[in-house]
Amino acid sequence: MTKLLEVLLLDDEPIVGRRLKPALDKIGCRVEVFENPKEAVARIDKKEFDIVVTDIRMEEMDGIQVLEHVQKKWPRTKVIIITGYAKMDLAREAMGKGVFDFIAKPFRPDDLRRIIANAAEALGSPIDFSSINNEPAE
Amino acid sequence: MSIIIISSDAMEIEETIAEKVAEAMGYSRLGHQILADVAAKYQIDPVKLNEAMETTPSLFKNLSARQWRHYLACVEAEVYDYLLADNIVCWGLAAHLYVTGISHVMKVRVLSGNSRGTMEIAEQKGISLQVVEKLRAGELQQRKKWSLAAYNYDETDLSRYDLVINLDQIDPEEAVKTITGAIEYRKFQVMTYSMKCLSNLALSARVNVTLLKSMADINVQARDGSVVVSTKASARQKRKKIATIKELAGNVDGVSYVEVHVKKNILEETA
Repeated sequence: MTKLLEVLLLDDEPIVGRRLKPALDKIGCRVEVFENPKEAVARIDKKEFDIVVTDIRMEEMDGIQVLEHVQKKWPRTKVIIITGYAKMDLAREAMGKGVFDFIAKPFRPDDLRRIIANAAEALGSPIDFSSINNEPAE
Repeated sequence: MSIIIISSDAMEIEETIAEKVAEAMGYSRLGHQILADVAAKYQIDPVKLNEAMETTPSLFKNLSARQWRHYLACVEAEVYDYLLADNIVCWGLAAHLYVTGISHVMKVRVLSGNSRGTMEIAEQKGISLQVVEKLRAGELQQRKKWSLAAYNYDETDLSRYDLVINLDQIDPEEAVKTITGAIEYRKFQVMTYSMKCLSNLALSARVNVTLLKSMADINVQARDGSVVVSTKASARQKRKKIATIKELAGNVDGVSYVEVHVKKNILEETA
């Protein structure tokens, strides 16, 4: 049996976690959902995730700070940023700091699954992505 | 996986640097040579298309504002289609003016310099330095006027570029190395967001060129196959114009939904 991909999903809008978790479960991810960045960071301190998916604009701590924390603690972990405030400068800043990918909300679950599949491949744990159907935008 | 757009205050230098960068990176070239293909594809007089890329509309040149906009839109649509392929060096097509907000596009401005650049052009053309300087000042003024008229963007404003190189201070070979080094920055790498932005702009351009063939005063914005068209029309023409736009835009490849916003055309209503 192939190993499940450990994914931490952080977004302060509860609907995002509720919609994306089942979509990622379907492609062999074990997803832990957080709405509070400090709680997410506390969890990251205890566990090495393969992939961290984080929103960028959150109270207390933003996605770039989460990225920096992950990089310091677990350099192998791939960080993906999802945001409703996408702009070129922000995208470049995130890319420059080492995010694996950056995607603007709204998006289809399939878009994120493709990115997760790419990240899994980069980690050397490719996942089967052939049985995925298109679903409405998140 | 990136795109480099090079512009310069001297066309010859723009092309030379672009060619060398493309060669060094192994990237595809996208230069003014495609204008002949654009003319053939959209059945435009190639001479007029070249003219549209250099001059603003004028009665004396037999180039109306509507024709001019349509010609520019044809070039834009073609350029975007090429840029979707990635790993490209682009120059001579004014892409630095309309390809905006794409993080994996690096825009470079090469300043030919006051001494060396001018001397090279004087040697190439067999004319005096003074004549070259006068010609270049006129050309620069003309380009500034054209860029503002076409895209409301002053191409001589250096703050709009990611990298500016002055050939008075940096040798052309070093300039090429600087450009090829800078494009390796992670900031210019392609990402899902930037590719989506580019696809949206490409779709907007395809719809724009389709609509501008038969109408003016059009603004098109596309996102994931949904297109919003803003235009002007008199109360009398509003319904017909909306229907025409929906039909034309709806037939463009990649369009799944069309919304039309119409503002009152006061000039037509008072006429």
